[in-house]
Amino acid sequence: MTDAFETAKQLRPGLWETVNERYPGSMITKVDLVPLAPLRKPLSQTRLTFVSSAGVQPRDSLPFDVVHPVGDFTFRRVPSSSTPADLEIHQIKYPTAGAARDLNVIFPVDRLSELAEDGTIGGLTPNFFSFIGYTIDPAGFERTLAEALADAVAAEGAEAVLLCPA
Amino acid sequence: MSIDYLRTAVAENDSATLIRYVRLHLGDGNEAAGRKEIDKAWVEALKLLLDMPSTDRTFVLETLSSRDAATLAHLFFHLHFYLVTRSGEWIHDGRL
Repeated sequence: MTDAFETAKQLRPGLWETVNERYPGSMITKVDLVPLAPLRKPLSQTRLTFVSSAGVQPRDSLPFDVVHPVGDFTFRRVPSSSTPADLEIHQIKYPTAGAARDLNVIFPVDRLSELAEDGTIGGLTPNFFSFIGYTIDPAGFERTLAEALADAVAAEGAEAVLLCPA
Repeated sequence: MSIDYLRTAVAENDSATLIRYVRLHLGDGNEAAGRKEIDKAWVEALKLLLDMPSTDRTFVLETLSSRDAATLAHLFFHLHFYLVTRSGEWIHDGRL
């Protein structure tokens, strides 16, 4: 184990056991931990990307597969220059009424653009990223979607990532 | 439930566990709601056929014979949600 592993703490270490008690076979036995990477320079000089499990995607792109019993291991690139009107949500596992009124509550594309424009953050990557988090196969999810997404984020030139679960 | 849990259920021919998962999936975590949703889809399918409207049975048979079983199973889940949507009673939070 690394020093970082030993000094880091899981935020809610008992969570998965609780879930498993309520839903037998719920699986999620997360014993390892990937420590958060420290920010290496001021946020005002850092190019940020945004990764969301909210199922937000450009209008008319292939809808996320919300009917599949295992899940959908694909992600969508969402141009950071998008406006809420350019985007839509395909997701049935969380309430989207608020997001339908203002997408920024779940996918803050306007707010991040404002923060970039006023210099609070150094800039935005050309694309943000979105997927749907529902799955009963977290190992497969990690092997496929998470790996592909990490590669895509790195290729985008992101220096920091804002992760936002739906 | 996990994929491993369901694979074990398949290996042990444990249909009760498998259908429980289907109900949980279709009922957004509520088994009773999922059971109702399954019934709702079948009722809607039946209602559509009671008057014996013309249907494209050639398309149906060609699809069944030309597509792999996994694609057809996937289609089955899509059809469930299609029929549930047609029923006009939508219990889910978001949209397809």
